[in-house]
Amino acid sequence: MTGSRSKSVVLWTFVTAALLMLSAPTVVVLGASFTAGNIITFPPDGLSLKWYGAIAQASDLRQAFVRSLIVATICTVVAIPVGTLAGIALAKYRVRFARSIQIYLLLPFTIPLIGSGIGLMLVFGNAGVLGKLWPVGIACCVINLPFMIWAVTASASNLSPDLELAAANCGAPPLQRFLYITLPAVLPGVITGSLLMFILALNEFLVSLLLVDARSVTLPVQIYNSIRSIITPDLAAISVVFIACAAFVIALLDRLVGLDIFLKSK
Amino acid sequence: MRTPRAAYPVTWRVMDMLERLAAAVWPSSFQRGLPYLMLLPAIVLVGLLVLGLVQIGDTSLRVLDTSTFLMSEDYTLANYQRVLTENFFATVAGRSLMGSLIVTAITLLFAFPYAYLMVRTPSSALRKFLLVALFLPFFIGQVVRAYGWLIILGNQGMVNEALGLVGVPPMRLLYNYPAVLFGLVQYMLPFAVLMLAPALTAIPNELEAAAASLGAGWVRTFRYVVLPLSRPGLVGAGLVVVTLSLTDFAIPAILGGGTQDFIANAIYDQFFRTSDQGLGATLSLMLVAVGSILVGVVFMLFGAGTLAMGETRK
Amino acid sequence: MSHDKLSSMQIRRRTLLASMAAAGASAGLSTLGVSRAFAQEPEKPAEIIVRAWGGSWVDALKAGVSDSFTKATGIAVRHDLTEDNEIQPKVWAAVAQKRVPPIHVNWDTTTNATKSALRGVTEDLSDLPNLKDTTELAKPVGLDGYPIVNTYGYVYVLAYRPSAFPNGAPKSWKDLLDPKLKGRIALYNDGIGFHFPAQVAGGGKLEDIPGNMQPAWDFISKIKEQQPLLGEDPDFTTWFQKGEIDAACTISTNAREAKKNGIELAWVVPEEGAKFDTDGLWIPKGLPENELYWAKQYINHALTREAQQVWLDGLGLPGVVPGLTPPADLVDDPSYPVTEEAFEHLIRISSKVQVENESQWFAKFKEIMQG
Repeated sequence: MTGSRSKSVVLWTFVTAALLMLSAPTVVVLGASFTAGNIITFPPDGLSLKWYGAIAQASDLRQAFVRSLIVATICTVVAIPVGTLAGIALAKYRVRFARSIQIYLLLPFTIPLIGSGIGLMLVFGNAGVLGKLWPVGIACCVINLPFMIWAVTASASNLSPDLELAAANCGAPPLQRFLYITLPAVLPGVITGSLLMFILALNEFLVSLLLVDARSVTLPVQIYNSIRSIITPDLAAISVVFIACAAFVIALLDRLVGLDIFLKSK
Repeated sequence: MRTPRAAYPVTWRVMDMLERLAAAVWPSSFQRGLPYLMLLPAIVLVGLLVLGLVQIGDTSLRVLDTSTFLMSEDYTLANYQRVLTENFFATVAGRSLMGSLIVTAITLLFAFPYAYLMVRTPSSALRKFLLVALFLPFFIGQVVRAYGWLIILGNQGMVNEALGLVGVPPMRLLYNYPAVLFGLVQYMLPFAVLMLAPALTAIPNELEAAAASLGAGWVRTFRYVVLPLSRPGLVGAGLVVVTLSLTDFAIPAILGGGTQDFIANAIYDQFFRTSDQGLGATLSLMLVAVGSILVGVVFMLFGAGTLAMGETRK
Repeated sequence: MSHDKLSSMQIRRRTLLASMAAAGASAGLSTLGVSRAFAQEPEKPAEIIVRAWGGSWVDALKAGVSDSFTKATGIAVRHDLTEDNEIQPKVWAAVAQKRVPPIHVNWDTTTNATKSALRGVTEDLSDLPNLKDTTELAKPVGLDGYPIVNTYGYVYVLAYRPSAFPNGAPKSWKDLLDPKLKGRIALYNDGIGFHFPAQVAGGGKLEDIPGNMQPAWDFISKIKEQQPLLGEDPDFTTWFQKGEIDAACTISTNAREAKKNGIELAWVVPEEGAKFDTDGLWIPKGLPENELYWAKQYINHALTREAQQVWLDGLGLPGVVPGLTPPADLVDDPSYPVTEEAFEHLIRISSKVQVENESQWFAKFKEIMQG
């Protein structure tokens, strides 16, 4: 059993390091948001909720947050069908020029975000739709679409052609085969992908910066822009509220669909 | 009295109707076109970016006239010539390419065990904890997160204070190349784990048990069973990390102390600081070309990840 | 769109503004209050959008200009906090695509504003009545008319941490070459504010700008050996706050703001001089007529003494109308020049020269620093 112990040791060494790396700045910022002082420090300089009071007063932040939620929802709603269909098509079928198509579909990652932002600003500007929220949602969807597609293809090895053939043998027509066999098989990928899409859209700022105006500004852009001379603890407090909201959504999602089962190996 | 149809549940009838509709819209003789139809929406969406690229491509062929701050009417390759001949751009491009490769290797090294544990652990609580820990960093904006790092790794940060206790003088841990790479690894780790997890989920646990029962140690099982089977996930995660870190802007700007620019930072400078959109456009296009070639090379070397698997199965 | 119609509108507006100014001056009222009396006053928009820098900058603008504008006209002012560099391509694209621009008024550096003016995306502001009461600082150099109005000046000072200079304040930019400051100094990441004093510190002459700036590049190369950090305003404050740096070339406002927030800091204008520059306000082309009118009213209001006094008290900077009182903490401060003598220590290069050569200077600076 020493084998499995050494395996655990190796595994946990890496995971602990990764956890530390992921969480250290978050923990510091979380802690700092409760400071009674005027600067972000850790450990916090006395305990108070004054920075939460400060952001509760700011209605522009609240409005910006609501806009971010709308943008993220639009992004996810568009990404789910588009990315799922594309992912299944790539994983399941023999497609001509598959590599070229994949390179094409990876353009959102190979184009630097500034280039995407400028390009989309010109395209949406020509179409006369700048200033609305849905183009921002579409933009967030486009620039992160590879995540959705790859999450689906990555889980597509669950797809068993035999299973589909069996269903077909039993007389299941194509649409039923798709809905009852193909789709459930890639569902873990769809869930992971859409969660990622939602969270990324919620936090996107570089491309959004070029697509919003003062009346349609989203929260990350608002925060980025408000930093000019001093970084004050209210920014930490906003992050905490943001996290709390996200935790709530994730918990809700977990209740409804059970996040757990999608990652558990059989 | 009862008709046979009554035994037929509503959902079935709805399904039948949908099937007939689908068959009418898309007769089975079109079957071979189906995958292309499924790809179409994604291709159209990404087409928005291509439209943008066309505009950028047009700008890249014009030079800035600093007496009017308009782009020249005539097309010229002057911007491309500048990018290819000036040392500065070679330095920055080399730094980004090298950086993205190092970051990809390190990220995969850490992401793999993380994803593996997340997928394989019997504890549902641990799995959820690991999942949530992945998403948390996204919610702290880049600027504030960098501030967090400063508190931890700064000259008067927690790490240097701890080192001071054992007599080590404070040293600069931030604002250099390793700091940028570290920041990128931290930023990319969640993406890599999330790309790997579904692929690892697909590897049956029994396979590992079987290998173990045949006397293979975990290292060998890992080397000959888990790793080859997770190749699709590794390729996918690798592609995501390599392209995103190659084109990243924020982390080199924030953790590089201003002297560790990547290509995207040079592009930002041209578009936003010197208003030379032509040069910025040229740099963008060349970065896209380099990134796409890199993706192509990865496909050639490692196969197209999941795609290859789908093909062999068929 | 007939040309005649446009120009006749322009004339009508000009006479209107002029008469308003006369009435305002004689009655001692704000021009805005009086303007209500005119029946032909264009329809008021619900709000106008003014681009501003965040933090203490927008707070000062709001207190000095925006709030009183809203009070006088009933038009709300929304502040767009997009950075000046980042709004520029947005405005340019809007004008090029013949869209309504995303902002009504841009609060901008004179250099950036000059680029927009040269590109032809700015409205002419020569007819603002309050311009007649301004000092020559308000007039942009090397441009026809008033495509922008400068509203105050500022200095790129040498800010330092007194405890790191036990022998007294630094006297020269060359003091940054002290070995004990290695890794402890900071500059803007395009070197802005530093090129000109570097030219002097490197033994060159200001008259040689832009022809021969080798002395500046030589000096900057020496600075590079000191491993400076390069950043933006918030970075400097953070770095001072967290003990990462001991000296920086930065705008005095940011240094003052940091000091107000309890960071131990002082600043000087070294013997080689320091760069003096201006910020201004301008209006992008493409606004509906009535919104353009009220945007102009906003800028006109920003040039009143009352508005300037409150706004610039917040920023700690010298304005463009005579008779302003400096904030108590800045009397005789080199970052708040009022006298001829004070200006002698400052370096002013025309925005035309800056604009035409800036991208080369930035590129050269980057090349040295990124090497």
